[in-house]
Amino acid sequence: MNLDDELRAALRREDPSPGFAQRVVARAKSKPAPRSWFPKMMWATALAAMLVIGFGAMSEYRENQAERAGREAVLALRITAEKLNSARDKVIRREN
Amino acid sequence: MRRLFLLVLIAAGIAAQLPGQLLQLRITGLDGLAAKAKESVDITLDSNLLQMAGGFLAGNGKDKDGKDLKAVLAGLKAITVRSFEFNEAGQYRIEDLEPIRAQLRTPGWSKIVSSQKKDEISEIYTRIEQGKVVGFAIISAEPKELAVIAIEGSIDLNDLSKLGGLGVPAIAIPDQGKKGKKE
Repeated sequence: MNLDDELRAALRREDPSPGFAQRVVARAKSKPAPRSWFPKMMWATALAAMLVIGFGAMSEYRENQAERAGREAVLALRITAEKLNSARDKVIRREN
Repeated sequence: MRRLFLLVLIAAGIAAQLPGQLLQLRITGLDGLAAKAKESVDITLDSNLLQMAGGFLAGNGKDKDGKDLKAVLAGLKAITVRSFEFNEAGQYRIEDLEPIRAQLRTPGWSKIVSSQKKDEISEIYTRIEQGKVVGFAIISAEPKELAVIAIEGSIDLNDLSKLGGLGVPAIAIPDQGKKGKKE
């Protein structure tokens, strides 16, 4: 048998065995459903991660805000004290 | 009926806000000065921010300065500071201060210190309600410097003088017969 004959034999059209379609459908139906806990677990983990990140970011924001407010409060009091002293000096100079 | 109740509730809410708004000095008319200034300071701290600041400084430092500062801030409800330093004179007009000074001429405010020269003004005002100081304001205008400060609440100048460690200069409190007391 030459190569042409071998190829022709190998690639010849052949009908499936009887009941092939039914067997395929039956196997597809019997395939186990994907496990349902995995997506739930994934969502729970994502939610927990989001909460942790959210609380962390909020906490850091509040700390930064407090630190900035603290610096501004000190600066405001410093300017206030300087201007009070300056006003006092001017009044004393005027009286003298 | 429900709508009427809602309207009454809103009106009550607005009325509750009114005293605070009336007390609060609106520092207006100085908006364009920051662009001309060499240095400018724009600070607005409400009671929430002051509380946060006091908590942070007292909790973080755990030192005497932090605690003293918290004590000073505890008496305050709001601080507003607008301060400008210019390279040269003539960057603002004394008339720019008129909207603020007009508010300080309304009943409730009293001018306790006033020093006025050609191009210099130093004024200190207090607001007294039911015999208590509930706020004060400072206007300090010099040729190259301008500062307007509004403080709601009360500050004990002796407490303020304790904040030297934080760079706050001691207030030279006039002698009130307490000899030997440090300034």
